[in-house]
Amino acid sequence: MALKPLSLAWRWALWVWIALAIAGAFFYAPLAKDFIGQSSRILFFHVPMAWASFVAFLAAGVWSVVYLWKRQPDHDRAAAAAVELGLVFAVLATLTGAMWAKVMWHAWWNWDPRQMSIVIALAFYGAYLVLRGGVEDPEARARLCAVYAVIGLVVAPYLYFVMPRQAEFSLHPQPVVNAAAKVEMNSRMLQVLITSSLGFTVFFFWVHGLRRRLLRLADRRAEGSVTA
Amino acid sequence: MSADAPARVEAAAPSASAAAGAPASAPARRWLAEAAAVFAKDWLAELRSRHALHTLLLFAVTTLITVSVALGPLGVSSSERLAVLPALLWVILLFAAAAGLPRAFVHEEETHTATALRLAATPSAVFAGKVAYSASLLFAVELLLVPLYVAVMQLPVPALADLLLALVAGGFGLALASTLLAAIAAQAQGRAALFPILAFPILLPLLLLAIELTRGAVGGAVGDGVVANLVLYDATMAVAGLMLFPLVWNP
Repeated sequence: MALKPLSLAWRWALWVWIALAIAGAFFYAPLAKDFIGQSSRILFFHVPMAWASFVAFLAAGVWSVVYLWKRQPDHDRAAAAAVELGLVFAVLATLTGAMWAKVMWHAWWNWDPRQMSIVIALAFYGAYLVLRGGVEDPEARARLCAVYAVIGLVVAPYLYFVMPRQAEFSLHPQPVVNAAAKVEMNSRMLQVLITSSLGFTVFFFWVHGLRRRLLRLADRRAEGSVTA
Repeated sequence: MSADAPARVEAAAPSASAAAGAPASAPARRWLAEAAAVFAKDWLAELRSRHALHTLLLFAVTTLITVSVALGPLGVSSSERLAVLPALLWVILLFAAAAGLPRAFVHEEETHTATALRLAATPSAVFAGKVAYSASLLFAVELLLVPLYVAVMQLPVPALADLLLALVAGGFGLALASTLLAAIAAQAQGRAALFPILAFPILLPLLLLAIELTRGAVGGAVGDGVVANLVLYDATMAVAGLMLFPLVWNP
């Protein structure tokens, strides 16, 4: 608890950082060319959400590998918390994407390659949570879920980065780092986007820490009720 | 643990065959023999009941009849045939696989033979044997179903090699992923319902690739790198399966 003032400080810093990103998205970044109305501003929230969900799923995979190696229940809880949060971010990215698609493409949904990828990712990590609910024994649950998450570690980069880029036809705007590995974006927009992405990533790890502690407390209480 | 013990003993004692210049080392030959034994055991059990084979076949044929009656040879306009028919073929194969393949492990758990199998063979050899069994089962179904489908739907096949490649690589990928996921699902509650939920997100990229290659075989366009991606998917799943299956299998 000696770190308390410092840990409080970075939370306030994160608050200011994300406020800056929001302000930057609306007042500092210019509008993108050829986008209807102000619709391009959703970029500064949609892309960081998708990015945070990717970081979350990647983290879940890494924690699962660590669990399979060390067999500490805490790593299993960390992986579970990361999947839960990753799903929240992925749902938010899907919804913001659909809103933007309604404005730009006049359809909420049209199975663009990226929409396809995110749906597979949602189905996969949704299945992870179903699997968690399906195994009683905590050790077996942790082990089986960890293996499933490691399979996700193999599949997720393919879904997020390979499949959308190799599709022959997509209406989705070019990713920031595209197939030609070139950054094609106004520098102000890029500044806001990176600020926002960083903010979302740190925000994820903060909430993840909270969720992980909550899961640990729930496990302890369950153990306590068993012995009592 | 105890499954590794005989292999370790053998590895510790330098075998005479290695000194004699045998091509495969003793543990490798032992591993192959174990995998072959699991494969043979599964087929023997299968041929006694023919449960999985009948499930897969009847499921595939019933679905084929449904599709055929609903669409008929002329039910799909010629411009849409290339888009619709390859996709339907793989949907049939996917559902047949989902109905029959999870049994490979559910059966072991239900009859309480899983523990004996854990003692008898190395985990990766069990995985290899089960994959070989599932793949051969799927190939048998494909062998009967696909000619029937092509005939009933009056589907011309200008590129037969592509079709065979799609069926072999797609069937092998289905078997690999299903074996790993069936092993996971067999240890959970609600095994039958859980398997498709776990498997479909992982099988989807494979199916999309197999559908595209099949579309190419019946006269449509194939994108670049479909064959490479299909082979890569199979290779990835094989490596992931061999590495992860022991963790699933040994409690």
